[in-house]
Amino acid sequence: MRKKFVFISIILLAAVFLSGCTGAVAWPGLSASGDVAYLANTNTVYAVDAKSGKQLWKFSGESSGGIFSFGKSPNMYITNPVLTEDGLVIVLDSSSKHIMYALDPNDIDLEKQTPNIKWKFSEVKGLWIAPPLVIGDRLFAPNSDGKVYVLDLADGKSEKQAIEAITVSESAKEEARLWAQPVTDGERLFVTSLDKSVIAIDLKTYDVLWHKDLGGAVPGGAALGADGMLYVGSLAKQLERFDPVTGAHEPVLETKGWIWGTPVASGDNLYFGDVEGYVYSFNTADGTLNWEAQPDSAITASPLVYGDQILVATESGGVYSFNADGDFDEWYKPADKGKAYTTPVMAGDFVLVAYLESDYYLVALDAESDEKWTFSGK
Amino acid sequence: MKNTGNQTQAQRPELPQGFATESLKTIAVIAILVLAFTNFSAVINFVVNILIFIYTFVGKNFGIAIILLTVLIRLVTWPLNAQQMKGAKAMQDMQNDKDWIAIQKKYAKDREKLAQEQMRVYREKGINPFGSCLPTLIQFPILFALIPSITYAIGSTPLSILKLSNSLYSFQDVASLVPLNSKFLWIDLGLPERTIIFGVGIPILALTVALTTYIQSKLTMPVSSTPGDQSAATARMMSIYMPVMLFLFSVNYASGLSIYFVASNILSIVQYALMGKVNWRNLLPGGQKS
Repeated sequence: MRKKFVFISIILLAAVFLSGCTGAVAWPGLSASGDVAYLANTNTVYAVDAKSGKQLWKFSGESSGGIFSFGKSPNMYITNPVLTEDGLVIVLDSSSKHIMYALDPNDIDLEKQTPNIKWKFSEVKGLWIAPPLVIGDRLFAPNSDGKVYVLDLADGKSEKQAIEAITVSESAKEEARLWAQPVTDGERLFVTSLDKSVIAIDLKTYDVLWHKDLGGAVPGGAALGADGMLYVGSLAKQLERFDPVTGAHEPVLETKGWIWGTPVASGDNLYFGDVEGYVYSFNTADGTLNWEAQPDSAITASPLVYGDQILVATESGGVYSFNADGDFDEWYKPADKGKAYTTPVMAGDFVLVAYLESDYYLVALDAESDEKWTFSGK
Repeated sequence: MKNTGNQTQAQRPELPQGFATESLKTIAVIAILVLAFTNFSAVINFVVNILIFIYTFVGKNFGIAIILLTVLIRLVTWPLNAQQMKGAKAMQDMQNDKDWIAIQKKYAKDREKLAQEQMRVYREKGINPFGSCLPTLIQFPILFALIPSITYAIGSTPLSILKLSNSLYSFQDVASLVPLNSKFLWIDLGLPERTIIFGVGIPILALTVALTTYIQSKLTMPVSSTPGDQSAATARMMSIYMPVMLFLFSVNYASGLSIYFVASNILSIVQYALMGKVNWRNLLPGGQKS
């Protein structure tokens, strides 16, 4: 009997072990302000000194309470932390607890080395995937439940209430998952949705001004070009140009693969990648393709404009440097394994790249792409 | 053993025809298992593709897709399960065999000799001692692949959708599938289920998994007439152990997997019922003793 007990235990353990073959479920979120980088990785948010790579603090939020806890699941931080003008760090727990925390890094619990919570908000029904957008004293937070929650940042109450929840799509509630940070032109808020649509919201009245279908889910955000137009890529393998006032739109470029990351504007040019591994430079002034190039593997991150270079991180872990003509070389390659899905950021003098399935979470690179430090959360 | 007069033939062990076939089956099963686990990602991709195909076919409902996949797996493995039941019955009957009981007593203190004698009895009666577990073993790659498959297929994060797109065969139009509908009844299939009752999150689905597993194991437990029957004692122990294990599993994993467990338990009861092997009295207090 004991043998059979052991046998079945082994089988169940093997099932758990093999189920781990799925690997990570999400890539890390990364942002920076001044000399501090904020990394949202699995169940912890880290603040890291960009000069030294030393951890300043970490935050895990409410305990999951172990496997016997009812009503709770492990914390999951995958969304880029967002900084407010008054220094709060907004972090989102993407687990089923759906909690948004506003952390005050100037108020550190010295014993736990974690910032105290200024307020938290959890009155949502879907996962937090999109980073919120700060506009003045308001926070616009898109959620996977298809609503944009508007929170008053000036309010310091511990249990924060949304002042407004804008339902962007009544017709397809289950599909209207909002995964990307919104963008604004000062009058309107532009929201993209997995229900294949782009929505414009009036920033004063919160009315939906227009709601347009793209024919493909939009996991990334919209970008405002130097020409004042709105550019959106989708899984329909097209870059679309929108009139931000009327919502009139047209495809301006066919791509080889899904456009996942948010395009980045620099001057008249728009840079973005696709999951087939192509990088595109699109001229918004004349509506033509400057160049396209394929370094190696899938690109989900947005490019980073770094001086006169365009840096692009790829799934294989490489970071490629492109010049204005589309010539590129491998700028950085991790010595070991690692996948780069997250958009690199600038912090202080360094470029920071976040890795998944690597020995370290974060690497800092100088202008010559030399490693200055790595951070592994230990 | 017959003496044919031929020295070469006399030295060769004579195996019943059924036993040789069973041995070949054992080797085949081991080969399949090795192949499956060395190419585990291919098995996962295969299951993911079937699941997504059904999902598309039934109008983008993952709950129904998982239930239909369970039905499909049950149909495909029906002969294996039937064989497992047959093997288990043969092993149980063996407990009452005079030869078997005699050698248990005779070689109680010599384990090596006992093992040799047991093998002899197996050979003579054409029973494969692994006959009841091989059909179960061959299903393990599919069962193990189901967990990551469901996680992939109903993933609610960007990475899981990216992984899904890499897993699907070229005939599947991934772009039209996104976003995947992970809602089924009140449940988000991509997350562990909790229903808030009076402010407390109750894992109703996980409790349903435990209950159906308990009922299934009770109903399919063979009635033993032999006192101290080891296989009956193991079955009784498993009827407690399995529900607890699957409950803990279901509490922490995507609830899509719990849907699979519930559907699988119900279908297992149906299969046993169709084969006339359900012991309804086992559900009654003291029913197993009768």
